[in-house]
Amino acid sequence: MTVAPVHKRTALYEQHLRAGARLVPFGGFEMPVQYAGILKEHDAVRHRAGLFDLSHMGQFLLHGDDVAAWADRLTINAVATMKPLQARYNIFCNEHGGAHDDTIFYRLDGRWMLVVNASNADKMWAYLNAHRAGDVRLENLHGDRALVAIQGPKSVAMLQPHVDLDLASMRYYFCAEGTVDGVPAIVARTGYTGEDGFELFVDGDRAAAIWNRLLEEHRDAGLEPCGLGARDVLRLEAGMPLYGHELTEAITPVQAGQTWALKLSKPEFIGKVALAEQLARDAYPRIVGLVMEGRVPAREGYAVRLGERVVGEVRSGSAAPSVGGKNVATALLAKEAATVGGTVEVQIRGAWHAATVTALPFYKRST
Amino acid sequence: MAQPEHLLYSKDHEWVAVEGDVATVGITDYAQVSLGDIVYVELPKVGATIDQFAAVGVIESVKAVSDLFTPLSGEVLEVNAALDADPAAVNRDPLGAGWMMKLRLRDPGETAGLLAYEDYAKLTTD
Repeated sequence: MTVAPVHKRTALYEQHLRAGARLVPFGGFEMPVQYAGILKEHDAVRHRAGLFDLSHMGQFLLHGDDVAAWADRLTINAVATMKPLQARYNIFCNEHGGAHDDTIFYRLDGRWMLVVNASNADKMWAYLNAHRAGDVRLENLHGDRALVAIQGPKSVAMLQPHVDLDLASMRYYFCAEGTVDGVPAIVARTGYTGEDGFELFVDGDRAAAIWNRLLEEHRDAGLEPCGLGARDVLRLEAGMPLYGHELTEAITPVQAGQTWALKLSKPEFIGKVALAEQLARDAYPRIVGLVMEGRVPAREGYAVRLGERVVGEVRSGSAAPSVGGKNVATALLAKEAATVGGTVEVQIRGAWHAATVTALPFYKRST
Repeated sequence: MAQPEHLLYSKDHEWVAVEGDVATVGITDYAQVSLGDIVYVELPKVGATIDQFAAVGVIESVKAVSDLFTPLSGEVLEVNAALDADPAAVNRDPLGAGWMMKLRLRDPGETAGLLAYEDYAKLTTD
């Protein structure tokens, strides 16, 4: 007897099918990789707005008086200093400084929310429970509560009529509890596209109504349903790491250029000693941007050389419409090759193709 | 643009139009839809000799790298150089401006290993 792999479906699965999305297994769920096409969806997010189903991501609620102090010992960024209704990017590391996961903490009224990567949700749930201490209670909403993101310059204008919150006054990386089309929701000004936008955490049973109404009312103004394909191009252009590519159990936040999130002023946390030492020695291979000089795209796993010596490999690669249509990539390179403005070569099907080492991000929105 | 009914097809989703001992090859509409936005096409060298069903080129979409297989054996007479600057022509017009290469056939009898339009249509609707 063979057992077929079972992929879960989000609350919006029927909507994706009806819209003709192409579905692929990702993080244990059948997720839309594209609807009308990656380039069209990418264009919508950069110039109008796109709607994403991110319900596959792990959502945990953290309750108890000790959550902040406890989380500060497990993460590299500061948790206890977060203001009410603030959101903050944070990374859980192992003792060697490698990343268990990169996440976002949301400080809600009377509780915290933690959003983790879909591919790491089971691992992180087990990890958090294994490390539970003091007055900390964990609640797993993964797969039950939906997450819908609206991303792009028209997000405020499109979403505002649906919510009972003043979106224009909400600061970036803050959130509020209110309603979307009458449905209780956490509305956060966060995202993973390099554009302004919001993420809506709503009960799975009510998500389809919100999704459909947003699309019906704003499709004419350019709102497009978007899949994970466009999301990956958008985040790569915006220089945001994707777990499994720029961050792994072996690639540390320091190597991934996320040192801005590393708070060595915190007294003690898992990975601190290793990360502090790595940072001080400065000898580590590091993630850089590459812009290919020719027309051939670089892809994950391709070797990179400086002169005759292989100095690293490509970790993500794509055509980048917001970088003049050039092919861009991230690569993990030895320090001596990681000089911005320098030239390296990427091995593509046996031939070496020139690329320029570039600082991240490739793309920054103008406003 | 070629009429889809008049073409032969491979199970790898290439089409071929045969005129005498010359064949024009491209990928099908089903293939371009499956691949998504095409950003780069790498074709064999003119003059190369290629064997039926071998991988002879590369088609890259935003997210994926796929092989181009040749549906028939022969010598490459011409490749569509316009795809270098405009690979999206394969998405817009897979049976016309998006053609990929012309071959001098080695053995016209190889067409027996290809599918007629109706059989290919069945393959892609299952």
